[in-house]
Amino acid sequence: MSAVLDPARVPGVWRGGEVDAASPPGVPSGHARLDLELPGGGWPRGALTEILHDGVGLGEVSLLFGALARIAQEGRTIAWINPPHLPYAPALASAGVALDACLVVRPATHEDALWSADQALRSGACGAALFWLPEKTDYAWLRRLQMAAESGKALAVLFRPIGALSQASPAHLRLVVGSRGGNLTVKVPKRRGPPLHTPITLRTPGRPAARVAA
Amino acid sequence: MLWVALELPELPLQLLERASESAPPLVVSEGPSQRPIVACANDAAQVAGVREGMTVAAAQALAGSLRCVPRDEAAEREALERLAGWAAQFTSTVSLEPTGLVLEISGSLRLFGGLGKLLAALKGGVRRLGFSATYGVAPTPLAARVFARAEVRGIAVRSCTTLADLPARLAELPLFLLEWPGRTQETLADLGILRARDALALPRSGFAQRFGPQALALLDRLAGRVPDPRVPYEPPARYKARLELPAEADGVEAILFPLRRLLAEMEGTLRGRGAGVQGLDLVLEHPGRRSTRLALAFPTPEREADFILSIARERLGRTELPAPTVALRLVAERLQSCAPRETSWLSGREEKAVGRARLIERLSARLGNPRVFGIALADDHRPERGWRSSNPAPRSAWDGGARPAWLLNRPQRLVAGAAGPSLQGKLDLVTGPERIETGWWDGEPVSRDYFVAANPTGETYWIYRERREPGAWYLHGVFA
Repeated sequence: MSAVLDPARVPGVWRGGEVDAASPPGVPSGHARLDLELPGGGWPRGALTEILHDGVGLGEVSLLFGALARIAQEGRTIAWINPPHLPYAPALASAGVALDACLVVRPATHEDALWSADQALRSGACGAALFWLPEKTDYAWLRRLQMAAESGKALAVLFRPIGALSQASPAHLRLVVGSRGGNLTVKVPKRRGPPLHTPITLRTPGRPAARVAA
Repeated sequence: MLWVALELPELPLQLLERASESAPPLVVSEGPSQRPIVACANDAAQVAGVREGMTVAAAQALAGSLRCVPRDEAAEREALERLAGWAAQFTSTVSLEPTGLVLEISGSLRLFGGLGKLLAALKGGVRRLGFSATYGVAPTPLAARVFARAEVRGIAVRSCTTLADLPARLAELPLFLLEWPGRTQETLADLGILRARDALALPRSGFAQRFGPQALALLDRLAGRVPDPRVPYEPPARYKARLELPAEADGVEAILFPLRRLLAEMEGTLRGRGAGVQGLDLVLEHPGRRSTRLALAFPTPEREADFILSIARERLGRTELPAPTVALRLVAERLQSCAPRETSWLSGREEKAVGRARLIERLSARLGNPRVFGIALADDHRPERGWRSSNPAPRSAWDGGARPAWLLNRPQRLVAGAAGPSLQGKLDLVTGPERIETGWWDGEPVSRDYFVAANPTGETYWIYRERREPGAWYLHGVFA
C-alpha cells in the first residue's frame, strides 16, 4: 500500500527535496560533478538558463564548451548574440566546437539583440544560443525568450551579472559562477529541485594548469 | 483532353483593386477623351448607383469620391500574361485568350488528386492573387470558354469531362457566347437560330456555304469534331512584375499587402518553372522622386512568398522612404533552378542547413551584413590573425597552446610596475611564456611572450609582454 502511494515512485512526480530525475535529458556538460546537479543530467534543451557572474575570465563561457561541441556535432548552429568580445576561433577549435557551426551576431542596439535572440531560438536551426543582454531586461522579454527556446528546442543561455539574481526570472535554471583558488565554483540557486547553495568546484575548463618558465 | 477556362470580366478594375484591402468607389473609363464612358464599375461604385455605359461625368455626380482611371489594355494584357505564368504550376499547357486563359489539365489530375482538388487549388490561388474569375471545364478549349463566359452572364454550367456529354451540355446555351463575327451572329439570329443545339443540327454543307468555312470550323472545334491545338504561353526568361496602388501609400505597412500579392504571383510562376531567385530587386515608385530600389539577395534560390516577404519587411523597416509609394515593381534578372523544399522528405541535416541559411538571411536583413558572421581559423600565428570572419575553415583543428574564449578586438595596455602587470589586483602568471614572433614579411611583425595570468579574484586573462618595448604588458584575451 505504502509502496503504491510513495510519491517518488509515481512517474512525473518529484519531491521538493530532490533533483528531478524525470526532466528530459539535457546536454551533458562534460563535467560529471556538474551533471549530477543539473536536472536531466546536463544543460536543458528547450529552456532558458541563466549564468550569473561578476567579473570575467572565470571560465563562465568555457563551462559550456562540452555541450557546445556536442550540439555542433549534431549539425545544429550555435548563435553568439551580442558577446562582449570576439569568440576566439582557436579556443573553440581546441575545445572541439566545430567552428562552422558558430554564428556571431553583433547587433547595434539592445532591441536588435533581443530580436536576434528570439529569431535564433525560434528558427529551429540553432541548437544553442548564448546571449548577453542589458542588465535591465524586462520579464516579458525573458518570458518570450523562454518560449522561443521551447519552440526551437534550443539550449538558451543568458549571461548576466549576479545582481540580477534579485529579479524574478522565467529561466528554468540559474547558476552563479565564481572563482576560488584558480578553480571555477558553481552555485545553483534555481533548478527543478532544491537550490544548491554550497558551491561545487570544477577545474576551470580551457585554463591551463600552472606552469611558468622562470 | 480536359480544359479549364478562366474568364476575367473585371480585370480592368482588379488591376487596381487587388493592390489594396479596402475598395473605395472606382471606375475604369474608355471612349473618346471628351466624353469618356464607364467601362467597369466596382461594387462600391455600383452601390452609389454607377452603371456601366453611363458617362463618367454622370458617374461622378452620383458618387462623390469616385476615382476614375482610363482603361489600359497593355497593362491588362501584361497582368493576364503574369497570371498565365502563375498558372503554369498547374499544367505546362496554359494559353492566353483575349479575356482569360485556358489550361489543359488532363495530365495534372492525378498529381493534384482529382479535378475537384485541382479546381479548388486553382480557384483559391486566383482569389488570393486578388483576381475574380469564372471557370468552365470541358473536353474542348472553346467549350470550356463558352461555359466560363456563360457563368459571367449568370448561366451556371456543370463541368463536362467527356466528349460524349458535350453536345447535351452545350445544347441550351445561347450562340452569342461564341466569338463569332457580328454579321454571322446577326444572320443566325434572323434565321431564328439562337442556341448551340440549333446551330449544331444544321446541315454542314449548307452552313459552310452560307457562313463560310471558318464559321463551320469554329463549330467543329467547339463540339470536338476536329482537334483544336493551342500554343502554350512561353514566359520570358526574366521575371518582371508591376503593381500600381489605388492610392498613395504612406509607410511600409501599407505596401505589405500588395507586395504579398506580387510575391504570391511570382511564387506560382517560379514553381511552374521549377525555378527560384537568388537576387530580386524590389522597386518602390514615388511620384516625382527617384524610385527606391532594394536589392534582396539569398544564399540559395528562393521562391516562397512568405519567406521573401519577411526579408523584404525587415529591409523596408530599415529603409527611409522619401515619399509615398504609388507603385511596386519586382525584377529578377536571373532565375535559378530550385529543388522543392517545402515538403518534409528532406533529410534532417539538410533541413537544418536550410533553417540556418534562412536564419542568417533574416538576421542580416535587419542588422546589416557585417554584423552577422561565422568564425574560422586562419593560418597565422599572430593571435589577432588567428581567426577570420568567414565561411568554411581550411584549418579545422587548433594544435597550439592554450587560447582564451574571448579575444579583444585590440590589445589593451596594462598597468605594470616593478612587480609585474596588474588588472584589478596583481596578475599572477599561471603558464608561459609562449613566444609568438612572426609576420616580419608583411610589415606587421609581432614579437611577444604570451602568458596566462590570474588576478586575486580568479579572473583569468591572456596577456603578453611586448619584446620590442621593454616593460610593456598588454591584455589580449579573456578565459571566459
